[in-house]
Amino acid sequence: MSPVNGALPTTIIVAGLALAGYALLLTALNRRMGTSLLAALGVLEILLLVLVGMIVARLADGGRPAGLVLLIGYLVATPLIPVVAAFWGALERSRWGSAVIAVAGLVAAVLMVRLHEIWPVIRV
Amino acid sequence: MAPPEPSASRPTSTRTGPGRLLVAVYGLFALSASARAAVQIATKFSHAPVAYLLSAFAGVVYIIATATLTAGSPTARRIAVLSCSVEFAGVLAVGTWSLVDPASFPDATVWSGYGSGYGFVPLVLPVFGLLWLRYWARRDAAQRTIVPSAEDTGDSAMPSEIDR
Repeated sequence: MSPVNGALPTTIIVAGLALAGYALLLTALNRRMGTSLLAALGVLEILLLVLVGMIVARLADGGRPAGLVLLIGYLVATPLIPVVAAFWGALERSRWGSAVIAVAGLVAAVLMVRLHEIWPVIRV
Repeated sequence: MAPPEPSASRPTSTRTGPGRLLVAVYGLFALSASARAAVQIATKFSHAPVAYLLSAFAGVVYIIATATLTAGSPTARRIAVLSCSVEFAGVLAVGTWSLVDPASFPDATVWSGYGSGYGFVPLVLPVFGLLWLRYWARRDAAQRTIVPSAEDTGDSAMPSEIDR
């Protein structure tokens, strides 16, 4: 079984950490969530959706991780993170909306490590 | 770049302002702890029953904290103080237990090693939760003093605590 290309999860980790850093900077500067953060969240969402598609393709090829139920749970929850963060953050017209987006970026990065632990075929 | 906040407005409920971040992180832990425990209990309960039951308990505590911080009524805040306290005690107890007796934890829980598997967020989260709830308790107390009622005429708030 060939591994899922490690370039995408690595890109997601870098993008998630960069998004978190930028959002924390906005929080520190007392700036609320704006279009720049929304656009960055959109990029993260696309990257996550492509990754989920690649993993689903691997499952369709007959690959099976030990914790299949857990993996499916992660595949469902992962693309929801930027969406939920965007809604919850946009409700807040203060710096704390930006802080919510920072959490989403960190979670996306951590999820890549967790996905690798659940199914080592997913390289980081 | 987003425009800066014109003026630091006071949060209007326990789920706005800093509470927005708290509810987000609590919601994240409520989902991950309870979902993970559900999968573990359903698929391999005998492997590490103590760890999985503690994970499930942690999940329930996180769900209650998320819901009560979101609701924010005086009753909800009292329940939130209780669940944050249980959570803090749980992290300290399970963290110590997992270090003293690792054999009971063949698989990790959210609270093992004081939440080290989750960047120690489980350890600091209840502290921020309790600080946030104390802020609201004090704000309520200050508000009651401004409009004196029969039972608390003797109290006077510090000027800095008075609502502007």
